[in-house]
Amino acid sequence: MAGDMKRIPELEQEKYDADEQVKIICLGDSAVGKSKLMERFLMDGYRPQQLSTYALTLYKYTTTINSKPVLVDFWDTAGQERFQSMHPSYYHKAHACIMVFDVQRKVTYKNLSNWYKELREYRPEIPCLVVANKIDADMRVTQKSFNFAKKQGLPFYFVSAADGTNVVKVFKDAINMALSYKKNSSDFMDVVMRELENFDLEGKEESADEEEEEGKAD
Amino acid sequence: MPIIAKQCGIKFDPPSVILIYENEHTDKLRKRVMPVRNFSEYSDCSRAAERLKHHPHHAHYLDSVSLEQLVRLYTVLRDHLRGLSVEESLREQCHSHTHEEDLNKFSDEELKRRKAQMDVLFELNRRRRDDPDFVYDLEVEFPENSSREPCSWDQSDEEF
Repeated sequence: MAGDMKRIPELEQEKYDADEQVKIICLGDSAVGKSKLMERFLMDGYRPQQLSTYALTLYKYTTTINSKPVLVDFWDTAGQERFQSMHPSYYHKAHACIMVFDVQRKVTYKNLSNWYKELREYRPEIPCLVVANKIDADMRVTQKSFNFAKKQGLPFYFVSAADGTNVVKVFKDAINMALSYKKNSSDFMDVVMRELENFDLEGKEESADEEEEEGKAD
Repeated sequence: MPIIAKQCGIKFDPPSVILIYENEHTDKLRKRVMPVRNFSEYSDCSRAAERLKHHPHHAHYLDSVSLEQLVRLYTVLRDHLRGLSVEESLREQCHSHTHEEDLNKFSDEELKRRKAQMDVLFELNRRRRDDPDFVYDLEVEFPENSSREPCSWDQSDEEF
């Protein structure tokens, strides 16, 4: 899978190194409303790219921040989360993460810790936003405190993809955090990846036609 | 006559299950009203749904309507007889069997069905762009974490 992905222009991840491009990933259990949130933010008529082979949906979004155009690729899972784990390329070069649970289902809240652990294995430093979705189903939950975000020091949002509460705010905040992370990035993994990429280039002179799968994790 | 079920719902007065279907030969949409008899707020919804599903007059039409959906409709009717609104009934139905469900472990079919159930409430609460009170960037502030009461989900043995 890792090798194949690079041949698809849409999944060419080098582009995320450019200043004006960011990658934001969505994480969380099945049916917590990740796609519904994306659709509410981008509104009707938006057609995402389905990359069903990779169990992946890509939402491209353009905005202007500080009078500069910014291209945002939102990566959404399309069933891959059922394996309770994502392919490493899903995390690769991500600049922010939106982590979602369903206030109607405890198990989706409990599983946050697993998602968070996996995220931090690949992206130890990127901003991560915790989203409590479906508050429209039971507004009383907004009077309760959910400690996961507080314990990890992460921003927390009560949202509803159905009635729209705080959806746009989450995405705007995520984009801003992704951009500022990118500007000030000192993420260890980024550095390692860069080193490995350089290493690959040097290596190529000697073994030009060898597939280099191990060095690159994308 | 081959029929394609399009929509299936419940009517409170007089209590009846309504099916909108298409006759495949004529391409015409038809409405079938199936009266609900001998049903009270104490009735068993699963049994009532099963009876209708296998009813000699209606079974043919309800072939592609799942038993689960019929049970849900009967539950809405029963809750109505108990004085609950449709919304309250759906919310309770959601609550009763979702809290501990790990949908990651469901098959494609089951997951699809559960998502369809959740969509009922989603559509009910949905604000669309053409609604008069629609606000795209709707921001609502909620009390600070510290002033909220602790959620029971945090009190179990497993720690984050």
